[in-house]
Amino acid sequence: MSKNASISPHEITQLLAEWSNGNQAALDKLYPLVYEELRRLAHRFMRRERKGHTLQTTALINEAYLRLVDQKHVHWANRSHFFGISAQIMRRILVDHARGYLREKRGGGAQRVSLDETALVTKERARELIMLNEALDNLAKQDPRRSQVVELRYFGGLNNDEIGEVLKISANTVTRDWNMARAWLYQQLSGA
Amino acid sequence: MAKPERWQQVSRIFESALALEEDARANYLCEQCGTDESLRQEVEKLIASHGNAAAEGFIESPAVERVAGLFEGDVTEKESARLQKGQSFGSYLVLDRLGAGGMGEVYLATDTRLDRRVALKILPEDVATDKRRMQRFALEARVASTLNQPNILTVFEFGEAESLHFLATEYVDGETLREYLHGTRLKLTEVLDISTQIVAALEAAHEARIVHRDIKPENVMIRRRDHIVKVLDFGLAKLTEKKASESGLGTDTEAPTEFKTEPGHVLGTVAYMSPEQAQGLPVDERSDIWSTGIVIYEMVAGRVPFRGATSSHTIVNILEKEAPPLSQWAKEKVPDELERIVRKALAKNRGERYQTASDLLIDLRNLRKRLEFDSEIERSTSPGIVAATDSYSRNEETAERREKMTRGKSSGKTIGIASAGIVLVVAAAFGLRAWRQPPVAVPSPMSPVATASLPERQLDYWITVQKYREGKPFQEPFRLAREINFEKDYQVRLTLRSPQPGYLYILNESPDGANPLQILFPSPTANGGSALIDENREVHIPERSWFKFDSEQGTETLWVVWSIAAIAEFEAVKKFANRDDLGIISDNKLSDSLKGFLVETSADNLKIEKTDVPPQTILRSPEKIAVHAIKLAHN
Repeated sequence: MSKNASISPHEITQLLAEWSNGNQAALDKLYPLVYEELRRLAHRFMRRERKGHTLQTTALINEAYLRLVDQKHVHWANRSHFFGISAQIMRRILVDHARGYLREKRGGGAQRVSLDETALVTKERARELIMLNEALDNLAKQDPRRSQVVELRYFGGLNNDEIGEVLKISANTVTRDWNMARAWLYQQLSGA
Repeated sequence: MAKPERWQQVSRIFESALALEEDARANYLCEQCGTDESLRQEVEKLIASHGNAAAEGFIESPAVERVAGLFEGDVTEKESARLQKGQSFGSYLVLDRLGAGGMGEVYLATDTRLDRRVALKILPEDVATDKRRMQRFALEARVASTLNQPNILTVFEFGEAESLHFLATEYVDGETLREYLHGTRLKLTEVLDISTQIVAALEAAHEARIVHRDIKPENVMIRRRDHIVKVLDFGLAKLTEKKASESGLGTDTEAPTEFKTEPGHVLGTVAYMSPEQAQGLPVDERSDIWSTGIVIYEMVAGRVPFRGATSSHTIVNILEKEAPPLSQWAKEKVPDELERIVRKALAKNRGERYQTASDLLIDLRNLRKRLEFDSEIERSTSPGIVAATDSYSRNEETAERREKMTRGKSSGKTIGIASAGIVLVVAAAFGLRAWRQPPVAVPSPMSPVATASLPERQLDYWITVQKYREGKPFQEPFRLAREINFEKDYQVRLTLRSPQPGYLYILNESPDGANPLQILFPSPTANGGSALIDENREVHIPERSWFKFDSEQGTETLWVVWSIAAIAEFEAVKKFANRDDLGIISDNKLSDSLKGFLVETSADNLKIEKTDVPPQTILRSPEKIAVHAIKLAHN
């Protein structure tokens, strides 16, 4: 029942290399594999560490990376590519989850009436995440790079140096991009 | 949204202004924006937003942390946990709190007497007041756990400590199907893998007269290490259900419409309830079949079939609406057979549902085998010549099995055409339910309906030959218009087509006529097990491979039956098209009576025309059923 049993670490490493050399088709193959791996890991981490611990997104993605690729052929260039794509995927996983959560809460399959406060907070945050996702899409339309900076940092858990490495820009530029993007997103979400 | 130049301008001024000390900003903005008031306001607003965002820590910590609650599924942390980590409880030592499900809190604990890990479920207090129910539950829980079925969670103990009723069960390290699904859809193979295990658990429980009553993804666990499925809480629903009068639904006591869990927390399970349950009627095994149908549906579609804004709306939908076809939601192609299985499990009238879990299990297993087999074929063959070479080696085994299957033959001769491995092996154990009609002794042509002038029926066919030399395809395959004498290593394929839709059955009779007939079409892989052929649809027999002649010389007869309606007698022999029988109708009496019918009907009014361009034979008949014998001589 393993969902990605058919692709070997070697193949994944190959796909990563091909993708970083500009082959978009390789990305199409990679995407679902990484999605699945990250989804599983996220679940596991959540359950294990939700009590008190803060979750390290980078640790999570790093583990996904180590689990997926062939250790003997790891290249740093590929790794930063992997982090780039992982941030995008984490974003999708979380947004999918938030949508599913709200759908369920609205009274779908398992009719759940909960007065639990944590559930209310979660619901609020799920909504917020979906709005942020939309705002980020709008930002990408006019400023793809700033949108990516947010994606890498907020969803990928990367620091400014790492983001600079992925986007091939300086850490200072990353900081400037972040400031502008965050202010703009805040404005969008707060309706200011 | 701003124009690109404007956006560039705003962001440049914003970034520069931000780099300045606060009191220098106003001057800088005036200088940069000049008379463009709206530009200045826009930048000022952004600067203010920047300040607020920083102060509030907006998107500062990673998203995963912020929405971690999304991953917690049904498990909600409650302060009112009744047991604490490290606490002794009876003869158990509490290790951790696993969560709170519909039936109470669950803890991981060690049984200090046996030094084994268990899951401790503390039953809600209000449940434990009804003595008679408790006894009955204790009995059912014990019986269920003694069934020793690997898919049923083992119950070790049902007891009371510190005035709390608890259930100690096998600890499963894994996730519930609800967590596993998490709003996504599963692959078909996985769906079948999980559902066969659920139904296997039900089969064993039902045999012991135990009805689960609350099958839903929350009550199914998937063990992490080996993906073994465990069905939880047999009999528990019965114990915890509220009296129907309390839940305001009907007057009977059988409806577990709502389960009280913790104070202020009502968990509804209406979406998985059978129509009889929803109406508060007595339930039996068939209610579990319904709920399993919903679970299967949800695994494929990513959603349950009946939903509503409130429980009452959902119930109305359960009672009145038909489930939308799975294909409407699924991401991969849904086999018709799966649609049929789910439809049958979800028959509103339980008399029309699967009557037993065993029947459902058979259909699910057969479908799984078929999918596995199909994917194996997809992997190992491509159409045409490759299929023949690939299947050649398999043929030995097939022939051997056939020999074994041909009962009552002292010589042990193989019969007829040995399929080139695929069609008959693939004619695996897909005992589709429709095929299990009882065979009848004497075939009777369908009862006459309206005899008024039927349009002439037509069926075209041709035979394609692939020559072989030393086990390898030799030259290109070619089409035959007329009979030839086939050499031993020729392989053949029959293709049929009609301008009208109709029902097609093809049977093989061996040269000396002494062996039972063998059904070649329909088979589970050809046309999905159905005899009904669409107009102008070419049917290849075998579908993806070639027939190969066996060593027995003589003339094979391929009986072609072309009918305007399904013929019950032939529908009844489809059941032999499975992995064990290999299509051989091993019931001699039945086979003989079918032969009699074929010989008798073949003479009826059939016009046979052969054309050379294209090479084919055209059969025309005014009758509702046309029967024709194709002769293949091989020496």
